[in-house]
Amino acid sequence: MGRASLLDQRATFGTRRWFLWALLVVLVAAVLVMLVWLAGRYEESQVQDRLDRDTGDAVSDLRSALVRNVESLQALHSRNPVQQDRWVQDAAGLLHEHRELLRIEWRDTALLMLAQADTGFRASVFDRLGRNNAQSDVLLACSNARRASGPAYSPSYFVPQSEGFGLQVMELCVPLTVSGALTGYLVATYSLNDVLTELIGKQLERGRDVSFTEADGTRLAFHGVSRRGNRAFTSSQLLDLPGFTMVLRLDSWRVTPDLFPNVLTAMVVAMTIALGSVLVLLGRDMRKRQRAEQRLAEALAFRKAMEDSLVTGLRARDLHGHTTYVNPAFCQMVGFSARELLGPAAAAPYWPTELAGEYQQRQAIRLQGNSPPREGFESVFMRKDGSRFPVLIIEAPLIDAYGVQTGWMSAFLDISEQRRVEEMSRASQERLQATARLATVGEMASLLSHELNQPLAAISSYATGTINMLQDRTQAESKLSLEEAMRHIAEQAQRAGRVIKSVHDFVRRREHAREPVDPRALLDAIMPLVSLQARKLGVRIELRLEDHLPLASCDRTMVEQVLLNLTRNAMQAMDQPTIDDRALVLQVKRAASNERTSHIHGWLEFSVADAGPGITPEVASKLFTPFFTTRSEGMGLGLSLCRTVIEQHGGFLEFGANYPQGTVFRFTLPVASAPQAARTA
Amino acid sequence: MQPVPNASVFIVDDDASVRAGLAWLLRSRHLPSQAFDSAEAFDQMLRSGYVQTQPCCLLLDVRMPGMSGLALFETMVERGLTQVIPVIFLTGHADLPTAVAAVKRGAFDFCEKPVSDNALVDRIEQAIVQSDEFLRQRLQQEVVGRKIADLTERERSVMRLVTEGLPNKLIAEQLDISVRTVEVHRARVFDKMDVKSAVELANLLQHR
Repeated sequence: MGRASLLDQRATFGTRRWFLWALLVVLVAAVLVMLVWLAGRYEESQVQDRLDRDTGDAVSDLRSALVRNVESLQALHSRNPVQQDRWVQDAAGLLHEHRELLRIEWRDTALLMLAQADTGFRASVFDRLGRNNAQSDVLLACSNARRASGPAYSPSYFVPQSEGFGLQVMELCVPLTVSGALTGYLVATYSLNDVLTELIGKQLERGRDVSFTEADGTRLAFHGVSRRGNRAFTSSQLLDLPGFTMVLRLDSWRVTPDLFPNVLTAMVVAMTIALGSVLVLLGRDMRKRQRAEQRLAEALAFRKAMEDSLVTGLRARDLHGHTTYVNPAFCQMVGFSARELLGPAAAAPYWPTELAGEYQQRQAIRLQGNSPPREGFESVFMRKDGSRFPVLIIEAPLIDAYGVQTGWMSAFLDISEQRRVEEMSRASQERLQATARLATVGEMASLLSHELNQPLAAISSYATGTINMLQDRTQAESKLSLEEAMRHIAEQAQRAGRVIKSVHDFVRRREHAREPVDPRALLDAIMPLVSLQARKLGVRIELRLEDHLPLASCDRTMVEQVLLNLTRNAMQAMDQPTIDDRALVLQVKRAASNERTSHIHGWLEFSVADAGPGITPEVASKLFTPFFTTRSEGMGLGLSLCRTVIEQHGGFLEFGANYPQGTVFRFTLPVASAPQAARTA
Repeated sequence: MQPVPNASVFIVDDDASVRAGLAWLLRSRHLPSQAFDSAEAFDQMLRSGYVQTQPCCLLLDVRMPGMSGLALFETMVERGLTQVIPVIFLTGHADLPTAVAAVKRGAFDFCEKPVSDNALVDRIEQAIVQSDEFLRQRLQQEVVGRKIADLTERERSVMRLVTEGLPNKLIAEQLDISVRTVEVHRARVFDKMDVKSAVELANLLQHR
């Protein structure tokens, strides 16, 4: 997946998340508003209910108070006969007790005033208006009372007072009867305002007004504090009095600064605020997390890009040897997909089959906690197509954030190209050396042949000439000159002999170059050249050296040449497509039959075994013949020279079949004398 | 094969015993020889105004210190001496390819050391015969050249037309002279060139 589409996806995630967040906020807000609203509603209805109840109570209180007043009024006439001054006294007492009553009048059946008493709390109410102006109302009430044989009320009316004030009053007419006969009337005047103040106002709660209104809403009387706030609850109830009906209305005012009228709303609001702040905090946390996530994603993308663009293969293994991670470069290197490489596998698929055992051991060693060399080591891996390639491996322990080793991290460099260049340069150098050697040999041969040619040519000339002269009878050559010719022939023959002897001397001189040599040093000396060719031909080299081998007494250079020659032959024998397991085994051991004389301290046996096609009998018979070769570029001197060298050392060179296939060449070298042999290898 | 009189063989080899041996062999076949111990010495002799008049042959060793046989041969090729002095190379096994190449460039033959027997001497004699023939031819050409130089302008024109095979009459027409004059000139040409017929004259001139 590309980085761009990843970001796109993240963007769509982002918008969706924002949408969800917005929805959540809206929903929470809606729920909270709803809660607040419902709470408000509930509260309102509570208030309204109480108001209604209170109104009902007020009405019944009012009614019973009015009834009690009627009874108190009737009590004025309970004693018979009623004395006028005594009545006035009683009436005044009554008025003092009941401030709502403004005036009590005792009237006869014709409504003529018999006695009267005014309240002491107010200046005479009717001074300004005159009582007679109210006569109609009194009349109406009393006629109602007479008809109903019970107390009756008049409709209220306004009594103006000084300075523009006035009182709304109503008349109560109580018929007085003595044994069923009407004897007169008691007329009481109520001040509606005072009724409210006296009868209801005392129980009135704060923030409430109480008023009397007409059915049409005209206000008649009012009691309460001045209005504050703006939210009003209203409850009205009909006050049905005989002769007059009016409405008692209770208003409840909500106080303005009382934003949260009750605990419920307050709690809801508090919860709303808490929820809101939690949401805000959550949102901020979310944003923070989102930013962190984005940074993480960017860092991750950068790391991934870095890993992907690396040409170095990377692999992580856990402590059990299971591959837990590989980067694309590694996959490309070995040709396997990451899926094929990950997970537990006894042998990794990129291990060459013939080396898997060795690698397994190496891994086991690693898992035991032995650190690999810091500078890395070289190894051979196999691609999916089966081809092998050399790699440079640098391994290091994988330490996690807590400082605990969780596995091994390895970096791989494909060094086949480097190796190829190296090999090419080495090969060309080698070729150059070989050419130089060959040139030297050729020059030597040419020089030698020239040196021999000269005396031989002279001999040939003298001999032929002499024969010519002996045959030619006509020629009278003296015996002397013939003799001279013969002497020349002898001289030249001696000269040729000297040439041959000098060559022989040269070879003999090398015998003095013998020295005690560690067999391992002999192998080490040729190993660079051998392994170079081995890598090229895909040959695996196996060294088998016995422990504590004695030193060999030999001409180091010559024996190295012999070893080189034999190993090369062996490797070239295996350079055939049909041979899979190309194993070259170099072995050194003490020879089994160790003859010991005064100057021979035993023998070492060197063997070079290949897994090639072997040697046919007809080739075998000519194998050591000089100038015999099966190769196009060979001189055919190799094996015969080898045998000569070995035989000069007193050893022998032989060959036989190798099991299960191939050929093994063996040669022996004498062990160096005791003091040196004691130096263990 | 008839031995060529007055023939001589030059031997150039750095090895004294080889020189002596070859001289001994040649003497046994009645061939006088002259030995040089280096290519430089022989080259010196050639450059010091020496003109070869006797049939001869050069036995040249390929490999010598200093100037090599091959280098000497090159100078002889440059100076056109390889016909009058046929060269037979003496070579070791290793020098064989160079010797073969030299034969392609005009050397008479090569001989591989150390084989130097009568077969070599036979080749030497053949080379001498070739040298002798070359010398004779060169001599004859010199004579003819001198005779032609003696002819007058008119005689040379007549001779050219005669060798083309034209009859006297046509020659007269071409040269705008009388037939009689042609006959006089013709007789004088035959006389001066020392021939008796037109055919003989044509043969003589052909070798030029």
